[in-house]
Amino acid sequence: MKDIQYISERLWAGNLGNAFVVLSFVGALLSFFAYYLSSKNISFIKLARIAFNVHGFAVIGIIGTMFFMLLNHYFEYQYVWQHSNKSMDMKYILSCFWEGQEGSFLLWTFWNIFLGMILKRQLKNGEWEIPVMTVFSLVQVFLASMLLGVYLFDYKIGSNPFLLMKEHSEFMDLPFVQMGKYESTARGLNPLLMNYWMTIHPPTLFLGFASTLIPFAFAIGALWNRKYNEWQKIALPWTYFCILILGVGILMGGAWAYEALSFGGFWAWDPVENSSLVPWLVVVAAGHTMIINKNKGGSLFTTHFLAIGGFLLVLYSTFLTRSGVLGNASVHAFTDLGMTGQLVLYVITFVFITVALLINESLFKVSYIVVSILLLFFGMLYGYKRILLMVWLVGSGIVTFISYYKYFPKEKDEEELYSREFWMFLGSLLFLLSGLIITYFTSIPVINKLFNTEFAPPKVPVYNNWMMPFAILIMLLIGATQFLKYKKTDPKKFFKRISYSFILALLFGLACSIPLYFFSTSETKSIGTWDLIGYSTLLVSGLFAVFSNIDYFLLILKGKISKSGAAIAHIGFAMVLIGALISTSKKVTLAKNISDKKLTALGKDFDDRESILLTQGDTLPMGPYLVSYKGKRRIGIDVYFDVEYFKLNKENKPEFDFALEPHIQDNPRMGQAAEPDTKHYLDKDIYTHIAAADLNVDTSAKKKNGFGEAKNYVGHVGDTIFSSNALVIIDSLRSNLSKEQYEKNDSALEVTAVLRCVNTKAENFMAYPKFIIQHNVVIPKEDVQKELGLKFVFWKINPDDGTIEITMSEKLANNKDFIVMKAFVFPYINVLWLGCLIMAFGTGIAIVERIRKFKVQS
Amino acid sequence: MKKLHIVGIIVIALAIGVIFVSLKNTSTYADFTEAISNPDKEYHVVGKLDKDQPLIYDPKVNADQFMFTLIDNKGVHKQVVLHKSKPQDFEKSEQIVLIGKIEGNEFHANDILMKCPSKYNDNKAPIN
Repeated sequence: MKDIQYISERLWAGNLGNAFVVLSFVGALLSFFAYYLSSKNISFIKLARIAFNVHGFAVIGIIGTMFFMLLNHYFEYQYVWQHSNKSMDMKYILSCFWEGQEGSFLLWTFWNIFLGMILKRQLKNGEWEIPVMTVFSLVQVFLASMLLGVYLFDYKIGSNPFLLMKEHSEFMDLPFVQMGKYESTARGLNPLLMNYWMTIHPPTLFLGFASTLIPFAFAIGALWNRKYNEWQKIALPWTYFCILILGVGILMGGAWAYEALSFGGFWAWDPVENSSLVPWLVVVAAGHTMIINKNKGGSLFTTHFLAIGGFLLVLYSTFLTRSGVLGNASVHAFTDLGMTGQLVLYVITFVFITVALLINESLFKVSYIVVSILLLFFGMLYGYKRILLMVWLVGSGIVTFISYYKYFPKEKDEEELYSREFWMFLGSLLFLLSGLIITYFTSIPVINKLFNTEFAPPKVPVYNNWMMPFAILIMLLIGATQFLKYKKTDPKKFFKRISYSFILALLFGLACSIPLYFFSTSETKSIGTWDLIGYSTLLVSGLFAVFSNIDYFLLILKGKISKSGAAIAHIGFAMVLIGALISTSKKVTLAKNISDKKLTALGKDFDDRESILLTQGDTLPMGPYLVSYKGKRRIGIDVYFDVEYFKLNKENKPEFDFALEPHIQDNPRMGQAAEPDTKHYLDKDIYTHIAAADLNVDTSAKKKNGFGEAKNYVGHVGDTIFSSNALVIIDSLRSNLSKEQYEKNDSALEVTAVLRCVNTKAENFMAYPKFIIQHNVVIPKEDVQKELGLKFVFWKINPDDGTIEITMSEKLANNKDFIVMKAFVFPYINVLWLGCLIMAFGTGIAIVERIRKFKVQS
Repeated sequence: MKKLHIVGIIVIALAIGVIFVSLKNTSTYADFTEAISNPDKEYHVVGKLDKDQPLIYDPKVNADQFMFTLIDNKGVHKQVVLHKSKPQDFEKSEQIVLIGKIEGNEFHANDILMKCPSKYNDNKAPIN
């Protein structure tokens, strides 16, 4: 079938795209070899640079071709068909491009090339051009192969974005594909992703991921050339660039989740979130050990370890989120494209290269390489992959440790206790350790695969509890370390200096946290004492970090902005943690405070209620508000629910405060997705989303007086029937005749069921349906309870077990529309967002200042 | 560097500590039989919705209570009480993971994860 070309097919586009794919792969490969060879023979460098440019050109070509196809609706191509359609707004074209795996790999590749081109210029003819660009082009070889989509024996390498629908294994046999009906069936961009976050979040995050390659490339180059110090000055601004961009990208993801998705917060410790957070933590640690190295020298092994680790963790998280290994542990893991093996191989390859380069003796090195390759082949041919992988990983760990002892230059003199470098180093280790713990928790699905265990991934509180002590320690370090000097500090002066901020933080923190956590109402009752102490400690230490950095900024730096990048960024980071702490620990579930209708008959009463039922037209108290559900309307695929909030004014009368319209997207591809609506105040947010609702917006007037479907109930005297607006209790049965009388004469037996209906206001209404039997013929006499709109028919008595049967039908007008809504208050969440901005601003200043200093020096 | 060596040892000890502590407390995937035999422990039970049994959700009574029957991977049926509102598209779920424990005759879940055929997973969406 591949050879047939249909008239409407534009095969040239795919051919062009595939030519670019091959060119990009060949270019990267050539560039890698040429850069590598130019380390031995400098004449290869021209070829290497050209090859890298060709690779870059080819990637731009791939991207250009894909955009051309998307813009011109070439639906015969699977990627276009899958990610766009004709009815879609073209402003989301960028989102279409990186919605799929192949597109997001391309985005990553693109940023690598972007950064590679800048570095290539910056380092031109310097001693770092060759090692750094060798590593860059090797990474590009791997990324370019992700798009190849060819089979090597049984292994599929890459996933090709230029596949025709009729070539795609999943779609080729489907009837609409065989008939060529592409346009009408095109899937299109997932409507849930049609918002501006999808346009800005992925490119920022991927630029962050891509920039972890820079410290990695320098560190690998340093191992290769055995020059451990020189690169750090050049790489320092780049490392902080990575910290800035990756940090902003992660927080954008948090803001997206908070604003548009119904996770119920800004951070859920989801594996996808974690796997971008961990590289950030590690790169932050690397950035700090690099500063130690620059100011005082030393911490070489740690810096290399962290700089390399950051990138390896990006690779590892790519594997985690794209191989399908997370399975049911994550909501947003990508589809498994059958590249698991390939992704594992990439992670292994870069670990292998790192360890091999660490070894400085040729015999040792050769034996490590040979053993590794033997293990790989053995694994490929005979299986036992898991055991061999573990053996290899443990072995590589041991080799790393030996190399550290044997080959790495070490500091001779002991670090001073009162020195900035000692505590900064400790802070870096804390960052690394917290990153490792998060990685470990996130990797539980991988551990299960490796060891055949059945551990479940931990829930949010587990992460929070584990990270709490780290947060406290890091805040204390951030606060104190600023006032320590490199090498040696006078302890007396130091303690005097920080004591101002500390006492202020202690007073202020306790003044806040005692009413916040120890004397407050229902919200904090469920929190354990240790947690409360933890929260208060974190609040105090966070404030200490803020105050002491402000002090440092004003007193030592004299408020000079250009020198104060670090102080400002640290204030921002502390504010992020304080904001996260308060808004999460003091998150108020508004719906909790409603007096429930105590209908204990249907099970226990649970304390963990977080939803509120709102019937159209009713007004219910919710926290300090009165809420009223007005109605719903449908716009496109979205159904909006209008909910109005009232507050009691001084005369105790409800006064309109604000309206929110949370909506549910009735997504044809994804099902229903609730999107929250939030009322923002300076000091708090009121966040609501719909948990359950009928999306059917039926405007045609119902038959107001008709009754709905009758439901049958079997029960004894004393049993309860639930209607939508009342409890119906079978109070008693009254008979006009005794059994004997009935059996003796021929008169009719009339049994009346006395039904007591209790509405939600605890008012009683009575209904008396009758069961009449005469000459063995049953003639039930219905009764309608008019106030409640309930119709009862008493139609059967079962003498065997003494039960009676009653049908109940409700007036259609009774079934008022209702919604189940969740509402939370996030207090002081703006501290978090403001902290993000301040942190980004501070980091930006620090980068500019580093570049300026670097230029002055060279 | 000696201080840093001590710090390094503490770090490694902490890391190992984390692994042991967390493995001890962590919930595991299990089937109903195992959950019944150990009613105090929290489990993750994976299974499918029993579509023949009724789904009971009456927000008028309790908006945070939803009852249904789950068939675990070994084929055991069990009544489930989920202490949350009924998740959207529940009926369409392909696979369900419940987090909770056995109480009496029911499995009481405080959290649920669902895998829907189409949710976040384009290629497996049903095609008309």
